[in-house]
Amino acid sequence: MRKCLIAFLCVLLVSFQVSAQNKVIKGRVTDETSNPVPNASVVIKGAKAGAVTDANGNYSISVPGSTTTLVFSSLNFANQEVVIGNKTEINIQLKASISTLQDVVVVGYGTTKKATLTGSVSTVKAAEIENTPFTSVDKALQGKVAGLQSVASSGQPGATQEIVIRGFSSISASNQPLWIVDGIILNTGDISRLQTTANILSTLNPNDIESISVLKDAAATSIYGSRGANGVIIVTTKKGRSGKTRVRLDMEAGKSDIAYENSLYRPLNAQEYLDLSREGLVNLGASPAAIASTLASLGLGNGVDFNWYDAVTRVAGQRLYNISLDGGNDKTSFFISAGNFFQEGTSINSKLKRNSFNVKISNKTTEKLTIGVNMNGGVVSQRAPLAGGAFGNPILSAYFLLPTRTPYNKDGSYNLISSTLGGLHNTIALSDIDRRFLREVSLRGAANAEYKFSDNLKFRSNYGVDYNTAEEDQYNNPIHGDGQATNGRAFSYYTRYFNWTFTNTLDYTKDLTSNGDLSLFVQAGLESQKSAGYFSSLRADQFPPSLTLVYPTSGASPVLSSATISDYTFDSKFINGNLNFQDRFVFSGSFRRDGSSRFSSANRYGNFWSLGATWNLEREKFMEKFTFINQLKLRSSIGVNGNAGIGNYDSPPLYGFGFNYNQNPGSAPTNVGDPNLTWELNKPFDVGIDLSILKSRVNITFDYYVRKSEGLLLNVPLSLTSGFGSARRNIGSMENRGIEFEVNLIPVQTKDLRWEIDFNYAANRNKITSLPDGKDIGNGSYILRVGQARLTYFQRVYAGADPANGDPLWYADPTLTTKTNTYPGAGARVLVGQALPKFFGSFSNTITYKGFSVSAQLYYNFGNLVYDTWSGFYLGSGNGAVYNKVARQLNRWTKPGDITDIPRYVYNGNRNFQSASTFNLAQGDYIRLRDFQVGYDLPKQDLSKLKIGALRVYVRGSNLLTWVKDKRLAFDPEQGVSATTNLNVFIPKTVTFGLNVTL
Amino acid sequence: MKNITAKILLVVMVLTTFSSCKKSFLELDPPANLTPEQALKTEADLLVALRGAYAGLRSTAMYGRSLMVIGDMMADNTYQSVLNTNRYTLFNNYSYNLTDGDVSGLWSSAYGIILRTNNIINANVSGATVNQIKGEARTIRALCYFNLVRYFARPFTDNPNGPGVPIVTVYNADLKPGRNTVAEVYNQIHTDLNTAFNLMTTYSNSSQFSKFAARALQARVFLTQNDKTNARTAALDVINNGGFTLITAAGHGAYWANPVIRTDRVETIFEVSADAVANNAFDALSYIYSQAGNYGDMLCADDLYASIEAADVRRALYATGVRGGLPSVFVNKYPNFVGDHSDTKVLRLSEMYLIAAEASLPASEIDARTYVNAITAQRGATAIASTGTSLFNDIMAERRKELAFEGERYMDMQRFKLDINRGTNYPAAARAVPYANFRRVFPIPQTEIDVNPTIKAQQNPGW
Repeated sequence: MRKCLIAFLCVLLVSFQVSAQNKVIKGRVTDETSNPVPNASVVIKGAKAGAVTDANGNYSISVPGSTTTLVFSSLNFANQEVVIGNKTEINIQLKASISTLQDVVVVGYGTTKKATLTGSVSTVKAAEIENTPFTSVDKALQGKVAGLQSVASSGQPGATQEIVIRGFSSISASNQPLWIVDGIILNTGDISRLQTTANILSTLNPNDIESISVLKDAAATSIYGSRGANGVIIVTTKKGRSGKTRVRLDMEAGKSDIAYENSLYRPLNAQEYLDLSREGLVNLGASPAAIASTLASLGLGNGVDFNWYDAVTRVAGQRLYNISLDGGNDKTSFFISAGNFFQEGTSINSKLKRNSFNVKISNKTTEKLTIGVNMNGGVVSQRAPLAGGAFGNPILSAYFLLPTRTPYNKDGSYNLISSTLGGLHNTIALSDIDRRFLREVSLRGAANAEYKFSDNLKFRSNYGVDYNTAEEDQYNNPIHGDGQATNGRAFSYYTRYFNWTFTNTLDYTKDLTSNGDLSLFVQAGLESQKSAGYFSSLRADQFPPSLTLVYPTSGASPVLSSATISDYTFDSKFINGNLNFQDRFVFSGSFRRDGSSRFSSANRYGNFWSLGATWNLEREKFMEKFTFINQLKLRSSIGVNGNAGIGNYDSPPLYGFGFNYNQNPGSAPTNVGDPNLTWELNKPFDVGIDLSILKSRVNITFDYYVRKSEGLLLNVPLSLTSGFGSARRNIGSMENRGIEFEVNLIPVQTKDLRWEIDFNYAANRNKITSLPDGKDIGNGSYILRVGQARLTYFQRVYAGADPANGDPLWYADPTLTTKTNTYPGAGARVLVGQALPKFFGSFSNTITYKGFSVSAQLYYNFGNLVYDTWSGFYLGSGNGAVYNKVARQLNRWTKPGDITDIPRYVYNGNRNFQSASTFNLAQGDYIRLRDFQVGYDLPKQDLSKLKIGALRVYVRGSNLLTWVKDKRLAFDPEQGVSATTNLNVFIPKTVTFGLNVTL
Repeated sequence: MKNITAKILLVVMVLTTFSSCKKSFLELDPPANLTPEQALKTEADLLVALRGAYAGLRSTAMYGRSLMVIGDMMADNTYQSVLNTNRYTLFNNYSYNLTDGDVSGLWSSAYGIILRTNNIINANVSGATVNQIKGEARTIRALCYFNLVRYFARPFTDNPNGPGVPIVTVYNADLKPGRNTVAEVYNQIHTDLNTAFNLMTTYSNSSQFSKFAARALQARVFLTQNDKTNARTAALDVINNGGFTLITAAGHGAYWANPVIRTDRVETIFEVSADAVANNAFDALSYIYSQAGNYGDMLCADDLYASIEAADVRRALYATGVRGGLPSVFVNKYPNFVGDHSDTKVLRLSEMYLIAAEASLPASEIDARTYVNAITAQRGATAIASTGTSLFNDIMAERRKELAFEGERYMDMQRFKLDINRGTNYPAAARAVPYANFRRVFPIPQTEIDVNPTIKAQQNPGW
């Protein structure tokens, strides 16, 4: 073996000497801050092969005497050409590229140069999502990409986040994008079945991500066929760079508080509540005796004035540690990281802890074969309180529990007597006594091999696994709360998804003309995916009195023991390619045939395709005189992709079981089914322009798109007399039209000072274009109507309190002409606005002066309405009389002539005022300081003495300021894409202090 | 070059064998479901489906809670405490709306159960027990239509030709039926009950329908139609031939405290079973009456309690105390919400005696007194000795006491087209509810109106 190696080296040496008659040029490649740039490529202009810089940026290249020019290039740097002349040493400083044609963009099943890209793809780099206080990467994407709306509905750490790219494509099927991490198609969304919310993506450490590509149009997404309709988000995790092993440490600690509070929605204190109740009882016509006894029962004179809101909310802590190592040699590179993240929610019983790791190893086994493995994973422990109307929801108790009810007895022990809590739960005690937790383990791993048959033929195989488990435990004590009725109860749920993707692609490139003017790229691929879900659920009741026995094993009465599976498979073949003429014109096309287990054998397969083209005008002769233009790219694409985002077994008509009687099995019809059910189709059209001028200091991207969805997988409502509420059918259509605008400006760029501005804007108009028989479909607070957007509110219009008597008034008819004090019929409902914003985006500024940097990102959202679900209870003018009210209720009508929107307070309610109407709607327009950061990079020269590569300290604020247009907005303007409040954990504002060290 | 081509071919071949997996890769059967054909194939399958229909009756929207609460609350028996969890508030206040969840819940649950029974009744399956199963299914279907027509239409005694509810006996997901007349619905109910009576041969237990349970339901249906002759005949058929025995005064308390279904034919003719596993948990009927849990919203009207004599064993089903600062009467008729839950009594032998008594009037006051006093005698109540209108009123008062919190009080108000005068326990604005009040009849739910153009034009007046 050793001999062989020596012989091999000799051969190499000889061949080297043969070429030694050439000229050898040496030098060092550095970046703008004089740090070495490893792996930069140094090639002779016009040639393909060349040299690569080592870890210190040094290179050596042997060139023929005829060579005149060398081209230096590296990822994230602008290419630079240098005339050799007589030089034998060329040291060069590369400038960071902002947007150049040589930028490599990650796209479906590979990468491409920006010049050849025909699709609409936005990229997000590591620096933009690292060290944020967001528990998952989907949250960190808010405001980063034009046209990508990322909305939270809860401030619970680890909560799910909804992402909508270019508007809704579907009414009843999924609207969530497809997530790909290192080639693996992920199961995303909420893994919790027992707890409130658990985002699978929160097991992925955002600090392990190198880049994110958001694919938005047909040319980019149709290669994902039936999964591409809602856009595709491709995440690439960090990989090692060859050279000296680098160690990076990130440390951060911070505090968070509630991001938005409205003083109109402050819960009342005891005096205010009792005064209001007395007034309400008088208005009800109650006798003095009844008033006295009722007020006494509400706590009059008990001396208690407890602020439940303050008690269940808190200033929360958070911290983050990450360590990563990366390095390698010319054959093997590695990246290893470990992270620890802890965050508390802004209310009690809400927190998340994550330990995560990422390993990526790549080995160039031979000249032709490269193999790689990567695995990343996270272990998450989460506590999430109940939400919504559950008595155990601490936020509910903040608004519902009377200030005259105390959580503690005089001796300091917990008050566990329901009747002294107005029938509600002491959530402060329950947070301590009861258990609600979730442990999530996720592993995403892949092994891949790439074999180069030749320079133009390459085969790649990737087998990836996405493995998620969730263990959910809950204990409700026998004394008080949800467990009282059953003498205690405990649940244990186990959920597992084993999801694999096996992808094989063959890439072929070919110069069709000898001068390289016309080249062809073709990729053919096969992909199979199977996701296997396994769910076991158990519950036992009847617990011993000790509060420490919290698992179902201690319960005497097992009442739930269930386990089942749920699987889906996809089998796909695809071909994808482009024809490139001098990087001036590029035409692309893709075709994919998908089969899915979700549809019956007759309708299982679907064909999806795209066509795209781009024209890089700056390469044209006639553009040469416009030297200030660095890039002017026109691109357009059309295509068809699909959506199969429905249940795994929605297609067949079904009978279900579990409708048991006397503990004997019972069955019932559970699904109407439709054997003809098939893919929902989405047909995107996009035209875009990319402009880069003034040495790439002004960069503009503009896109116009139309997306038409057809054959919607719609839940068609049925007459309830059929025994069913709805059936899933392929019917209806919808379209989205919109524009996206991204601007990047660098107004100042000097040696020490740099100012960069980023602005993005997206406006989307969603419109339902057809429904079954053209008829409206009621949809809770909303309506589905042809010509209107999905999630358009359809409500009775509230007209204020009658100045004469304080009765609530509504408009009696949809023309809004007459007012009535009788809650009007359904015919009075009108379209009043939509839940999705009309436009949204962000505006960022980053100023760097020497080592100092300040950056701020504002996120804005305009044109939607937010519905306050529970308003009728704390602002119902007496409805839910035994629950606390908010300060806005004090603006009630009290005497004739009062002009107010809050009716007279009547104990137990005033004429259905609490019922759904526009009173519960507020404008959702807001601007938020999403991110604010002040940082300082210590000077290199000082650090090098300490053998430290780089050291940065920073203070970061997230959601620090929130401006809302509507001063009546009850809660945070971010309430999910459906813009509906649900007494969730409040969204936090966070301040963190952090330190990054690179050794 | 040839070499490369060969390699490519090899790779492609390997891949195709790899990925063009067996066809079964895309064939995934649901793990916990069957197709309707598979689910209704045999006699044993029908029995399983029948249990599913019974389980439907247990839903909160039906006998699981709402029918029983609303049936007393819209009358004058039960009211909502000032300390409450906001359940049924709008029925307490007579201000419920077109979109009310309890209203649409009754509509959709009843038709959901009707579908379950239709599929059983229409199944082409043979076997020794198929007749019994189909008979039970028909009785369940009749019970559902009976509740639908009583809540969603003006009573038969008002106008038999008025709009009833759509009759659906064959599954068709896309049907948008209009309303049949009240009389047509009652005919359907009788057809089902007569057929059921003839088909059924087996008595299993109190939680399943039997021959005489179908007859007992029919007695109630006839009474609701004011067909006294048939009501009396049916009730007496049950009393004389059903093999049921009345509960005695001594056993009365234990009878209501018992959560277990019976096989001894004592008192219960049919009840909807809730057990330790399959129950409505916090939404159980017992939970909204019992003061031992977190709800206990529903209280007994003072005048009802006052009408029960001290020696009457029924008084032991109530307790007095304070709730929300006000003196209150608590209902202990459904005490079990831990472990095996209280079952919901739907038909009892005592009701048959009350029907026989009422239906004997005015023809035979003697019979009427005999039948009603069969009940008073077993309750420790003073025997009724009155005559004429007083006798009728006494029988009705006895009905109120005996059947309180069993969902029938409001139905009595309806069939007699009575104005309701509720006591001072109720909100002042909702004490007098005249028969003409449009809220005395449920609206066809908004969700149905929205999808069913046929029924849209047939909404009840006022809604």
